[in-house]
Amino acid sequence: MGFLKTLLPGDIAAGLALTGKYFGRVFFSANRKKIRTQLKHFTQEYPEVKVRLAPRYRGRLTMLKDEQGEIKCVCCLACEKICPTQVISIEKGKKEGRKMPFPVRYDFEMERCIFCEFCVESCGFDSIILNHQFELAGYNREDFSLGLEGTSQNMFTASPVGHHSVAEDEKR
Amino acid sequence: MPSQAIPMTLTQTLTMGLIQILAVLIAVFIMVPLLTFAERKVIGYMQVRLGATRLAGGHVGITGPMNRAMWAMGKVPMLSLLRGLPIFIADALKLITKEDIIPAKADRGVFTLAPIISVMAAFGVFAAVAYFPGTLFVFPKGFPIVGGLPFQGFITDVNVGLLFILGLASVGVYGIVLGAWASNSKYPLLGSLRSAAQIISYEVPLTLSLLVPVLLSGSLNFKDMAVALATGQGLSPLAIIPLFIGFFIYLTCGFAETNRVPFDLAEAETELVAGFHTEYSGMKFGFFYLAEYANMIVVSALATAFFLGGHFLLPFGLQRFVPASAPFIGQPSFLFFFLKVCLILFAFLWVRATLPRYRYDQLMDVGWKWLIPLTLVNLFVAALIRFAF
Repeated sequence: MGFLKTLLPGDIAAGLALTGKYFGRVFFSANRKKIRTQLKHFTQEYPEVKVRLAPRYRGRLTMLKDEQGEIKCVCCLACEKICPTQVISIEKGKKEGRKMPFPVRYDFEMERCIFCEFCVESCGFDSIILNHQFELAGYNREDFSLGLEGTSQNMFTASPVGHHSVAEDEKR
Repeated sequence: MPSQAIPMTLTQTLTMGLIQILAVLIAVFIMVPLLTFAERKVIGYMQVRLGATRLAGGHVGITGPMNRAMWAMGKVPMLSLLRGLPIFIADALKLITKEDIIPAKADRGVFTLAPIISVMAAFGVFAAVAYFPGTLFVFPKGFPIVGGLPFQGFITDVNVGLLFILGLASVGVYGIVLGAWASNSKYPLLGSLRSAAQIISYEVPLTLSLLVPVLLSGSLNFKDMAVALATGQGLSPLAIIPLFIGFFIYLTCGFAETNRVPFDLAEAETELVAGFHTEYSGMKFGFFYLAEYANMIVVSALATAFFLGGHFLLPFGLQRFVPASAPFIGQPSFLFFFLKVCLILFAFLWVRATLPRYRYDQLMDVGWKWLIPLTLVNLFVAALIRFAF
């Protein structure tokens, strides 16, 4: 007779109230003429509207600079050692007026990267992060070899390979 | 036969009947796809998503350039505001143009007959449903054949309308059982056996719960019952109690009759692939689909007419407190009827988004051990109120 509990009008009413609440919320927040940033539903209208990502989303590896525009990386090679697919290779060097070692080369082979964020966790100097870029498709292999040099394919700015969505068009 | 104020020739009678049948058929054929679309959207909203959004509202296709421009301006495109409403046309087109497959070992004749029986039983019921008790409009004098004749809010005025409706509605189960048997396959057969048992079991409390308005109004006629119950002439105010309980019992049995969630055991897709219509495709499947939704509309119309006051504003005999001289709400209107039907159809979708399916033995337990005794008690209370107060 336990199942009879599911027949009780009170329980059914509680369930209906819950779904009704959600219906009202979505009904009054969706279907507006202007695109809203604060939405009550989980659907992402991706190609047209910019995606809302979780704060800890793991996108492409990016190097950070400090306030003086200096590279934060000190070539401790922690990221290179912990990387399970060995996509990072660093060449140590020296620079005028800088006590810490300086990366002459910091190569990142994105085509083998598994976006596990071990490199960022192992970094003791907070000099690398995974950004929120996920549109990483490219037309040739060279697009996936990133380094310190170059204007379009370096470790400091977002990759240029991802300008395929309307949301990106809008930003430009 | 309805009492005709204006004498009509045979041609006029036949033409008028055809026009009214066509009007109702077209209305149902528009309502059903809209209902499927509403189902997608309503259930989507209840599950905190958007439902169907992307027909003629995306950035590709004929309307693509316009939509792209509107998205770029930070606005939701005009066509997308309707949120994929054109999908209901696409749905219908898909069903009509799909390939019709008949299994090699199926009984071809019965296999074809089954959806026809199903859809006929569902649509035949509309003949006795009264949407509005009087004349909706009068054809202008110059109109060929039917000039000057009234267009009524019902097809026929059957004086045992309820009996006719219940009889025809239960024929629908033949379509399910025959279709499943003719498919020559296990899953449809199991689904149809469940469905037959379910519909026969729930026919009893359904009919018993409908006896309450019959008893209270003293009529089997669709129009008379709606008027008597809404205005509550000669009824005790206590009559609201059995009517109110009867409404919920009727709705529960109506869900079971139309094979809707939480009683959709006939097509329990987690257990029986698709139940009785596993082997059906193309427009034959479309007929079953159409019949299910038409049945939903019929159940809503019956609940509206017998329990919710029909074409009057207030149900359960409460209409007597609204003076008949009040401008809009005092008079019966087709709009009220339509609105109430829509509300109950929404309740169908609401329940589908909320409740899980009952197990087969639970379904039978609920039907025989609880609903039938409850309706009998309810009927007794109604009889007591009718004759003692």
